Amino acid sequence: MMRLAFNVLIILALAVGAYFALRPAVMADGSARKVELNAENLGPRSIEDLTEKSITRDYGLAWQTMAAALRENRRELLDGYFTGIAKATLAEQIADQKNSGIRVRYTDQGHKLEAVFYSPSGDAMQLRDRAQLEVEIVDGDKVVQREDVTLNYLVLMTPGADRWLVRDLQTTAAEVRP
Amino acid sequence: MRLLLASVLIPFSLLICGAAAELRGPAQVTAGNPVSLASTGTGSGKGTFYLTGPGQASKRTVTLGDEIQVHGDEVEHAGRYTAVVCDGRKCAATHFFVRAAEPAKVSLLVHPSRVRVAQPNAISAVAFVFDKFRNLVLSPAQVDFKASPKQGPAVSQTRPTQNGVTWIRLTSATKEGPAKIGASLGKASELRVVQQVASEACNLRIKPEWNAGKFFVETEPVRDCNGNAVSDGTVVSFTKVDASGKTTVDAPIKRGVARVEMPIKGSAKILVASGVVTGNELSVEGRQ
Repeated sequence: MMRLAFNVLIILALAVGAYFALRPAVMADGSARKVELNAENLGPRSIEDLTEKSITRDYGLAWQTMAAALRENRRELLDGYFTGIAKATLAEQIADQKNSGIRVRYTDQGHKLEAVFYSPSGDAMQLRDRAQLEVEIVDGDKVVQREDVTLNYLVLMTPGADRWLVRDLQTTAAEVRP
Repeated sequence: MRLLLASVLIPFSLLICGAAAELRGPAQVTAGNPVSLASTGTGSGKGTFYLTGPGQASKRTVTLGDEIQVHGDEVEHAGRYTAVVCDGRKCAATHFFVRAAEPAKVSLLVHPSRVRVAQPNAISAVAFVFDKFRNLVLSPAQVDFKASPKQGPAVSQTRPTQNGVTWIRLTSATKEGPAKIGASLGKASELRVVQQVASEACNLRIKPEWNAGKFFVETEPVRDCNGNAVSDGTVVSFTKVDASGKTTVDAPIKRGVARVEMPIKGSAKILVASGVVTGNELSVEGRQ
């Protein structure tokens, strides 16, 4: 009987260990998650296939780098996928985090993007994002606030040399809690 | 006895825990305006107050039970803020949204910077409306677009913003020269300049010229169909067809005309073209 219980415990321990060992890093560090883009109602310019793929890829990577930058207080990570107002605001937040000792940790659980405006000359795209997130506010090692939330963002992206950059990222009031 | 104790102590402890810090505040405020949050249910003592949001991550000690004042400069960026107060045992949180203040700046994208004359809907202007804190103003606003060509009357149109953005398409003027494209909203305005240049050559004509025994062919001043001089540097192709075959020479327009020397032996035909436009044909006889 003891032996059976021991074996069950060993199997359970192995299973738990395997879960954490094989768990993709993206889940642990809040990095790129599923990004779906709906461009059916986009105007006045229609979106090209390649642009659609770039937007989806680059927006996901922007969130990945933002989560890492805020988690690790590393402003330089913003250089890859942020520019303009969005980059300045996030840099301010990182500076504040360094001063106060608190950090905001995002665990990205997916985005539903809807492209709403694509400028006639193709130099700016506005999108709505319905983002599923786990947000933690951490003071030192202590988690002072944790929530699973669906937030709506209004996003402005502009093309860079080889990718689309997030120029503005603003949460909007319509919010749905799970 | 145990049951009795449990039935008394558990609700009592829950009551104590439940009475830990509570935080209440407005659902929405305007950027740059102070916010007052009520921390209640704590009795007295010190607590820690955290505020996070776009561009914001701060903490400070507060007296529990008092109103917590969030300064205007802590809520300048539009978006969702989280306020948390902790009393040592437990934390309570509230969220509020900061919306943009009044429009104070218009950002204007105009493309292209150089355009041919008389091109329908060739110019696009996109205006973004921001407040003084550089938040996109999402409430609808009316943006006045104005296009002022070098010659002729200005054209203006008013367009409403949607999600802080509005746009317009314009047809380039028939006369070359700079056109000022402006967008304004209240006192905020932004201006861009688009250079309008001549379109394709029109009525391309060439004439022969013998000079010191050499044969030259030269265009008349090259103009588009609206009479604008085609830009210097535009290439004109001269083609000679004679008994030896076909020879093409490209020459750029300089000071309004293109000119090229062509050796002629016997009779030849000279043709001219610029882009997709062809001109007149010359028949010449070489001089022995």
